[in-house]
Amino acid sequence: MSRWRLSGWKTATGRFEALLACVLVIEILVFSKTGTNFATLGNLFEILRLSTEIGLLALVMTPIILTGGIDLSVGSLLGLCAILFGKLWRDAGLPPVAAGAATLVIGAAAGGLNALLITRLRLPPLIVTLGTFSLFRGLAEAVTRGVDNFTDFPKSFLFLGQGYLFGGVPAQTPILAIVAVGLWLLVHRTTYGRAFRAIGFAPEGARYAGIPVHRRLALVYVLAGVISAVAALVYVARVGQAKADAGTGYELFAITAVVLGGASIFGGTGTIHGTLLGVAALSVLKVGLTLSDQPGELAGILTGALLLLALAGDAMFRRLDARRVAPATISQP
Amino acid sequence: MLKRHFREWAVAATLGALLLLLALRAPAFFQRAQLLSMLSGAAPVLVATCGAALVIISRQIDISIGSQFAWCSVLLGLVIHASWPLPLALLATVTAGALFGAFNGLMVAGFGLPSIVVTLATMVTWRQGLGWWREGEFVRDLPDRFQWFGLGQAGGEALILGSAAVVLVGMALAMKHLGLGRWVYAVGSDAEAARLSGIPPRWVTFGVFVLNGALTGLAALLNAVRFTDVDPKTGTGLELQAIAAAVVGGVAIAGGRGNLWGALAGVLLLVCVGPALVFLHLPPQWEKALQGAIILLAVAADGWRRAKGKD
Repeated sequence: MSRWRLSGWKTATGRFEALLACVLVIEILVFSKTGTNFATLGNLFEILRLSTEIGLLALVMTPIILTGGIDLSVGSLLGLCAILFGKLWRDAGLPPVAAGAATLVIGAAAGGLNALLITRLRLPPLIVTLGTFSLFRGLAEAVTRGVDNFTDFPKSFLFLGQGYLFGGVPAQTPILAIVAVGLWLLVHRTTYGRAFRAIGFAPEGARYAGIPVHRRLALVYVLAGVISAVAALVYVARVGQAKADAGTGYELFAITAVVLGGASIFGGTGTIHGTLLGVAALSVLKVGLTLSDQPGELAGILTGALLLLALAGDAMFRRLDARRVAPATISQP
Repeated sequence: MLKRHFREWAVAATLGALLLLLALRAPAFFQRAQLLSMLSGAAPVLVATCGAALVIISRQIDISIGSQFAWCSVLLGLVIHASWPLPLALLATVTAGALFGAFNGLMVAGFGLPSIVVTLATMVTWRQGLGWWREGEFVRDLPDRFQWFGLGQAGGEALILGSAAVVLVGMALAMKHLGLGRWVYAVGSDAEAARLSGIPPRWVTFGVFVLNGALTGLAALLNAVRFTDVDPKTGTGLELQAIAAAVVGGVAIAGGRGNLWGALAGVLLLVCVGPALVFLHLPPQWEKALQGAIILLAVAADGWRRAKGKD
């Protein structure tokens, strides 16, 4: 898969991931010293349980960023799907399984709306998803009139977010694992993944190479819609209620994890395992600081600083790697 | 004229249609007091949108202005409490904004990092840093000499609107007629071509970020004088509001296209949606959904026109 990449990129990306792994190890070492009950198996599973929704969104954001796109609407869509699931279950009287299935269809349709606007009308993903970011959250607020709150879900459904398998593994972990493996195979072991990268490097070039650019782009955005719906179900099951503000700000967290994982925001480079490392680094940071009795804001500050350092380090690496003559240009979104 | 500025005119026409509907169905919307308070609430957004439009025209983006806005508001409240004279406090706020902008500008123009990620990082860092420092505490009971600039509500509102108008008109004219304004368009259209024609693209980008920060500081000031307290969470979501208004007003996200008159129409259209729903006796919870639909319709109209080959 990596053979066709430009030389220099691979080493830079590999080094980036190694660096991030080092950060993760340092975090774990530090928090084992400072945190109460940090280095326990139970805490590991707790971190997994808390980061499943974020992890799902970050995973599915990776192929989007690979194509040079972005999806700001996943957090809002999570909120909308959570509300509609509650509505279908409580007001339409559907059993949770049917309501969940319908929610997945709604997620796919919402992703389809993004895909339609991006491919058919060739609009920039940033703007389209900025619009749907507002639209989806607004619909969630409109449906609930801003106050409605869905609770009292059946135990069997709540198990999805609060239960444990084999006496310790959170029930939502298999979902995260399946999505991670599925996306890893899609991105790293199929021609689809190669198409995503090619589109990210040069959309026109990809088209001339015979890649059905629009269909591949549509796929990643519809996939994002479906996985956002899955994340919504896990979220509702974990917190036991569905409100219109569910998942606020998750899109930024997901994008941060992907970029931290070594993906270029301009598209073309990035890996699923890098994203998983990014999610792990952020989640461990957050939980570790809490267990070390540090204020929650410190996690945000360190996340921002880490992101800037990672970017600066990446830029430096690349400059060292490629001493080739490159015109001094300003990077542009 | 109509063809070249189709988008700006289309948004202005939509705004006109909305106002006409309100005039027919809910004339109370046009009561002097309600209109003034709505517009003076929109003035800070307009000033921030001028900055956002400038950044987008130069082909960058800044999603950290909401956090800058919060910092500037809190700092302003604190220096007012420390009995700084009003002009000095104003200067300090705008300078603080400019420094925040300069940091972004240094990262983007100096180190060549992508602006969306840089400002994502600064957005989170500044916001959380403020939360850490202030622990959510409001700056309370600002003195009377500060509220409405000590001019009373009517005078204060007039001054807010006047300041926003001066910024808008001044910047719109500068963008059209000053060499520096044309530089911004040139860099946004093609940084390399601009460089070859003797424009320093990095300095232009840096300057745009600094100016954007200063405008955010001014917006924070125009907003803060309307209240007696400063909420440290203020300005959350301002960045997306400003970007959306600029985009609805015809500023192209790919850079090099758009103007501030369009941005003005975009701000007014998006700001009117909420009050219009209330005055038309429609459920106000639809505000955000309608704003999203307006953004999508505006850009979809662009795409559709382009697909038909008219642009």
